[in-house]
Order: sequence, then structure tokens, then C-alpha cells
Amino acid sequence: MAARAEPPPAAFERRVLRSAARHHYLRVRLELPDGGARPNAAQFKQLVVSALRELHGEVGAALPVDVLTYEEKTLSAILRVISSGLVKLWSALTLLGFYQNRRCAFRVLQTSPFLLALSGNSRELVLD
Amino acid sequence: MQWSTAPLFWTPQCWEVQFWQLALVSLTVVSFLIPECALLPEVLKSTIADIGEYYLVRNLSIHELVAHEFIDAFVKKGSCYALTYNTKIDQDNTAALLPNGKLILSVDKDTYEELGLQGRPSRYSGKKAMRYIITIDLTDAGFHPESKKHNRVLWALKEKKPLEFDFLLAWYNTGAEGSTLMSYFSKNQIQALKPKITFSTLRDLQCPVLQSNDLQGKPEESCSTEELFEWLGAVLNQVSLDNNSSSFLSTYCCPEPNTVVEKAFLCTITGFIIPEKIIQLLEQLCCYFGEPKLAYWLTLTVHGFADSPVSWRESEHGFHKGGENLYNFVIFRNLDYWLQMAVGAHDDCPP
Repeated sequence: MAARAEPPPAAFERRVLRSAARHHYLRVRLELPDGGARPNAAQFKQLVVSALRELHGEVGAALPVDVLTYEEKTLSAILRVISSGLVKLWSALTLLGFYQNRRCAFRVLQTSPFLLALSGNSRELVLD
Repeated sequence: MQWSTAPLFWTPQCWEVQFWQLALVSLTVVSFLIPECALLPEVLKSTIADIGEYYLVRNLSIHELVAHEFIDAFVKKGSCYALTYNTKIDQDNTAALLPNGKLILSVDKDTYEELGLQGRPSRYSGKKAMRYIITIDLTDAGFHPESKKHNRVLWALKEKKPLEFDFLLAWYNTGAEGSTLMSYFSKNQIQALKPKITFSTLRDLQCPVLQSNDLQGKPEESCSTEELFEWLGAVLNQVSLDNNSSSFLSTYCCPEPNTVVEKAFLCTITGFIIPEKIIQLLEQLCCYFGEPKLAYWLTLTVHGFADSPVSWRESEHGFHKGGENLYNFVIFRNLDYWLQMAVGAHDDCPP
């Protein structure tokens, strides 16, 4: 008669990581109050790089920034940058004033070291 | 910013107790992802349909939540949840009612001084306290209608400094008969709302390979918990997973090793959702593996409100740069699970 196998004893492991995120994520929106042609994804990325170059020079422009998503209709995007470059990127976006001689402004809608946190924003919860 | 992960063999009874200890107070967005699934089983569909309503009451004075009729009808008979709507925790006055009967007020310095109720300075307001937290236990034995405590609180909130907010309310009724929130607040502008539910089927999705007992991953064998967490964020934000390392736009790609699944089911529920409903959903998701399935694991992600004055249990929550407080379950086919909890800088480590 085969004996029934006992279930293995429960194992538990807990890992706590503090400030360990390698990347930071920003959800941004570009505002073009004067209207005109909207940049495509590559032009948007070029704009971000030129903002970095304007404020932080060539070294700043070499900061690896990924445009994870870009929506041309709403001009909103999710950017990824290494954590040590967050302040450089955010300051460069804040101080960018012109795109192709048109006024522009970057609005940082949400920022987090977790990409998952950007998928839910309770501040944008609009109820009728 | 900190998060923790635990794989655990569980039995249904002990798991529910642990979950209660972990539950965020109230939830705004819940998503679950099931790889290798095109159609949702009927049991899950009905659990989602049964997620319940919540209510939005405009211009509700906070002293009404301290009234004994309200406490006896709702707070003592089940779990009542309330949270101010459209208030920012780092700027405005905010209030929340927890299911254990505690009313938490997070107020600025002027309001605190005008109210005259006892509280403590916020942990995240710096050297000069500009924000104070007042906790009122509505179910305390010393808080009966004729007590000094009750009279003082009522006087402060009704006459000294009346505070009015738009509130999100929900009530989990343990079967007791009596009035409903809708009938109790019929004189105020109360609206019943249903959470917004969206379904989508993702095709040809690259999914990381995971080993439940390997949190840190093994090269060529499994991915780590951090890689899964980032990948899940990418899927829920519709990020492309297929980029070259030399691509101009983005170099993000799915962590290795990964497999391509033909289809995956993604459901997102947005609204004011209470933890009791999440437990029911989680139980049903675990039962998904009761029959043989192709999927090796599935995930359930839950976000808390960024502007809630409390996050885990009663620990104070601040916004800082993001206000994130969320958790993610990864449930494996063999019923191991990973629980990843993430908080922002102005938060305590989750329990």
C-alpha cells in the first residue's frame, strides 16, 4: 500500500530592498500651446536629448534615456532613465522652452522608481 | 523605496489570515494577467461582476461620520470605508475612515490649531510641523453619545471648524439588516458608481520564465523578482518588449529567459474597491489552477490611493514624488506565491 506523501514544510523568504531601483520612470506630456505639427517618436526623443544637451552639455546628452511609449495624439510618453540621472533629466525637461521656434512645456504627470506604479494614477480618477 | 518578496507554500486557511494583515486600506486600480488564457472562466467573470458598488457623496460634513446613528448603522455592522475625493495629501486636508472604526484626519497646521483636537505631527513634514494627523476611534468604549470625548469631537467638527469634503464610501455588510448608505445619505448628493472594468487579450506576448523558489533568478534558467516587476509594469503600460540594444528610441526588452505565449488575458478594474472583494478575486484566481492549465503563473496587481492618509494597516502615508503604494501577487501553478509590495519614500516598510 503506497503511503501518501506529506506536503513539504512551508518555506518563507523575505527580501527588503531600499532605494534599489536601477531606473526611474517619468510619465510626461508635451504641451504645444501654439499648435502646429506634432513631433513623431524619433523627433520627441531628439527633443529630450536636446533638452539635456542645452542644460547639461554633451555629457548630459549622453545620458541613456528610453522613450518606452509615445502617443502622438496626446503627446504623452513614458521615459526611463537610470536613477542617478533622474534629476538631470527632470531639470532639463522643466527648463525646455522651445521646440522648432514654437513655445513648448513638458509636464511631468507622474514619476516613480516602479514602472508598475505608472499604470494606476488615482489623481487622474475622474468620476461623473 | 522598498519592497519585499516571499514565496510560500500555503493552505487556504492560513493564507486568508496573512492577507488581512497585508491589505491596503482602499484600492483604486486592480489588474490581473493570466498567460495562455483567451477566455475568462465563468466563475471569475461572476466574481468580477459581483465586485460591488461604491458611492460618491458631495459636500459631506465630516461631523456626520462621527454621528452615532452612522456609527451604529454602518461602522459597527460590517466594514465601512471612506476616503476624501480629489484632495491631495501633500496640500489639502484629507480624511479617511478605516474598517476598524478609526477616523483619520490629515490636516494642515492652521486647521489643526483651529480644530483643537489632539493629534500628532506628521512624520513626513520636516523639522517644522506643517501637517498633523488626528485619529479618532469611533468604536472606542469611551466614545458613547454622552461622553466628554464625543461631545468635544462633535463640537470641534460641527461648530469650531466645520470641514466639508466629497467622500468616496463603501460598506461591506456582514449580512446585517438595516439601512444602506444610499438611503442614509439620501439628503446629500449621493451617487452610486460601479467600478470601470476593461478586458483585453494580448497576442504573442513574451513572458519571463520564473521559478517559484528562486527569487533572484538564475542565468539561463529563470528571471528575478525585480525583472518580473519591471516586465509587468511594461505590459500594463503597453510598452514594446522587443527593442534592439542599438535602437534610438528605447532599449527595453523582455528579461531573459522568456517564452512567447500565444495569448494572455488582462483585466483592469478601476474604482473604489474594498479588500474583501480582492480576497474573493484572489481565491478564485488561485482556484484557476485547480484544473490543469498551460500557464505556469498568473499575477494580480493592486494599487492604493496616492492621496490616502494611511497605507498599510494604519501607517502614515505621504506623497513625496509619487505616492505609490501597491502590491503584486504572482501565483504559481504549484500554488506557491510571490508577494511584492512597493511603497514610496514617505512610507513605512509594509508589514
